[in-house]
Amino acid sequence: MALIRGRSHAGRHDPQLAGPSRLDRLVEAVLTGGLALSALLLLGGLLSGRPRLLWLGVLVLLLTPVARVVVVTCGLLLRRDWVFAAVSLWILGVLTFSFYVAWHVEAPRARPSRASAAEKR
Amino acid sequence: MTAAYTVMLFALGASTGVVGAMLGLGGGVFLVPLLTLALGVPIRAAVAASLVCVIATASASATVNLNRGLVNLRLGLVLEVATSVGGLAGGLVAARLSTHQLFLIFALVMTAMGLVMMRRSGQRNVIADATLDPGLLGGRLREGETIYVYHVRRLGVGLGSSLAAGGISGLLGLGGGIIKVPVLNSFCGVPIRVAAATSTFMIGVTAAASAMIYFSRGDMLLPLTAAVALGALPGSLLGARLSGRVEARSLKILMACVLLAVGARMGWEGLWR
Repeated sequence: MALIRGRSHAGRHDPQLAGPSRLDRLVEAVLTGGLALSALLLLGGLLSGRPRLLWLGVLVLLLTPVARVVVVTCGLLLRRDWVFAAVSLWILGVLTFSFYVAWHVEAPRARPSRASAAEKR
Repeated sequence: MTAAYTVMLFALGASTGVVGAMLGLGGGVFLVPLLTLALGVPIRAAVAASLVCVIATASASATVNLNRGLVNLRLGLVLEVATSVGGLAGGLVAARLSTHQLFLIFALVMTAMGLVMMRRSGQRNVIADATLDPGLLGGRLREGETIYVYHVRRLGVGLGSSLAAGGISGLLGLGGGIIKVPVLNSFCGVPIRVAAATSTFMIGVTAAASAMIYFSRGDMLLPLTAAVALGALPGSLLGARLSGRVEARSLKILMACVLLAVGARMGWEGLWR
C-alpha cells in the first residue's frame, strides 16, 4: 500500500526528473510477472506438446492487461484521485462486460455448431 | 506443426513486435495479411493470433516505456474510454457498411494521415522549459540531459480518433494504434515517443476484450498463437529500446511510410477485391 501511495501523482511524470511514478513501477512489476509466467507456460506447451499448458499460457497473457487495470484502479482509489479512478473503473467495467459476453453468450453459441460439425464428420 | 514452421512463426512475431513497439502499433496491420496471404491461415485464427500478439507487444513494451517515464497514464485512461465505446459501437456500424466501403474509408484516412505526418516530420511538439506547467493531461519527458514539456491540445480530436480506433479494432481486427498515434502526434501536440508508448500501453486492454471472445469460442489455433506471441515478446522489448535511440523525425517518417503502405493496400482491397 505504501508503495502505491507515492508522493507523485499516478501516471504523471515526476515534476523534476520526468521519471516513472511508484504506481508506474508497480504496474511494470505486474506486467513483467504476467508475461514471464505466460512465456514459461507457452514455451513448456510448445516443447511438450501439451495443449492444456498452451491454453493456460494464452489465458494468463489475456489476463495480464486486466491485472494491470485492476492495479491502476486500486492505486488511483488509494490516492483519492476520484475522476481518474472513475475512468479506470469504467474501463474495468467494459472489460468485465466483454469477458462475460465471451464466456456466457459467445462460447455457448459456438458449442452447438462445433458439435454438429463433428457429427457430420 | 513442424519445427521450421514454428521458428518461422516465432520470427514473424518477433519482427511484428519490433515495428509495433517502435511505432505504438499492435502489429495487426502486418500480421493478419502475412498469416492469411503468405501462410494460408484461416482469417479468424489469424485475427485471434494477431490480437494475442498485440497484447504481448503492448505489455512487454510497456515494461520498458514505464521505466523510462514515457507512458502518459492519465491521457491513456481518458482516450481508452472513447476506444472502449468505439469498440462496442463497431459492431453496430459494421452492419451498415460493406467491406469495400470499410476498406476505402480506412485507405483514405491512412493516406491523409501519412501525408500530414510526412509534412510535419520536422516539427516538434515539445518546449525545452521544465518549469512550465504541463496541465492536467500533459507531461514532461527527458531526452538526454534536457527535460521537455508538452501540452495536450484538441482533446476532442484525440477522443474522436480513439472512438474511431475502437470501432476499427472491432471491425478489422486491428489494434487501433495506427489511427491514434499519428492523430495524437500531428493534431494533439503529443511527442511521437509518448504517443507511441501511451498507445501501446492502452491497446493491450482493447485487444484483451476482443481476444477473449475468440479464446472462449475455441477459434484460436493454440500452437500457432503461442509461437507468434513468444516471438513478439523479445521483439517488442527490442523495439521499445530501439525507439529511444532513433531520432523523433526518423520515427515520424517511418510511421508515415507505414501509413501510406497500409493505405495503398487497403485501397487495393476496397477497389479490386
